[in-house]
Amino acid sequence: MKYDEEADIRTDTAIKIMALFFASIMFLAFTTDPIASGTKEGQRAPALEGLSYNGTGWTEFSMDDWLVDNWTAGDTTGEWLVVEFIDTDCGFCWDAGSETGQAADYFSKTGAEKWDGPVVNFVANVGELNIPGHESSRDEIIAFRDKSGEETCAKGDCTNRPGNPHSFTYIDDLDLDNMDEWKVPGTPAYYLIQPDGIVAWVSSENPREKVGDAIIRIVGGEQ
Amino acid sequence: MDANLILMLYVMPLLFGTVLLTPFGSALGDALSSKWPKLEIPRRQRLLGLNVVLLVGFAISVHTLWISNKISEGGSVCSSATVFSCDDVLGNVAYNTDPVFGLSWGMIGMVAFGILMFLANSMSKEPDALWAERYSKYGMYLTLLGLPVIGLLISYEVAMGKICQYCTTAHVANVIALFGFWTITRMHEHGNWNDDTTSEASA
Repeated sequence: MKYDEEADIRTDTAIKIMALFFASIMFLAFTTDPIASGTKEGQRAPALEGLSYNGTGWTEFSMDDWLVDNWTAGDTTGEWLVVEFIDTDCGFCWDAGSETGQAADYFSKTGAEKWDGPVVNFVANVGELNIPGHESSRDEIIAFRDKSGEETCAKGDCTNRPGNPHSFTYIDDLDLDNMDEWKVPGTPAYYLIQPDGIVAWVSSENPREKVGDAIIRIVGGEQ
Repeated sequence: MDANLILMLYVMPLLFGTVLLTPFGSALGDALSSKWPKLEIPRRQRLLGLNVVLLVGFAISVHTLWISNKISEGGSVCSSATVFSCDDVLGNVAYNTDPVFGLSWGMIGMVAFGILMFLANSMSKEPDALWAERYSKYGMYLTLLGLPVIGLLISYEVAMGKICQYCTTAHVANVIALFGFWTITRMHEHGNWNDDTTSEASA
């Protein structure tokens, strides 16, 4: 015979299931310390992928290949990474070309003058901002990086960009996939990434501090 | 401990629950009935099987969420040397959360299996309640709803070229639970939802 006088059974069951659920949540809370993915300081940087140009040709780039999962703070063998978001037709990026090139040579220890801290590699992610006159191409990326060719960049012929040709890798992000993923507010934007992939410093959160100063302050080493 | 060895701790009870949900469960139920007499009754066998399967689904969902959290810390749980790598799947930020709310798939699994466990547990405690048949249908619809979600997650794995063995076990638990709720619904419809033992039912 069927009956309908057992609402308490369902309440009792619901309480037990909820207790199990919250016990599981407590277990997760006590045994893990998840780090959110994002581009704010302290978050785990999202993927940065695409075809990249390093001076010789175009090859696949994945930021994961540059990271060390088990890096611990104080380990000076781990290599840091500065990700610079630029547009070859952005005037501010044009102006920053010299300073960024010098910083890259110095901190990545590829120039004549080397700093004594851990290696800080630089990569530039080149997007094509949705602004009239900002049409770009791979040839223009090469021209901006190498100061070569006959392409026109932000303030004229790319060969006239301030500073020397850059030695670091440029990523083709003309479709803005990476920029969208990283929620880049504008160019140029700089992100200092720890060897384990955690965002250590973001230029938009520190508008008064230059990337070189941030590296010295956060990564360490002598000035 | 090896991740695949730990997986066996889930697969064994999942198999046990699955057997109880099938006609082979009668033999297993009869074998266990000397210690637990109620397991001689087919519907008790089905309910036990369903509860075990759902508990495994819930536990494995908690485990996948734990793995997701550990990977976000920079840890490593599964070797990525083979196509079976929960690290590569659960650690992929492009796919490891649902596209609408941004919730971790492990958390969604916990909630889904929690609701299913509530339905199955309630039925187990009061199998003759008026709402018991309705609950079996709710369970069936909910697990049916899980199928397109499983399809989406499998498409992610295909895109990545990697398989998360823990996630797959949770998906299998959902499919088995669907079979379990469907079986119970059919027992209601065919008038077999009673405490007759296997021998009485066949007579």
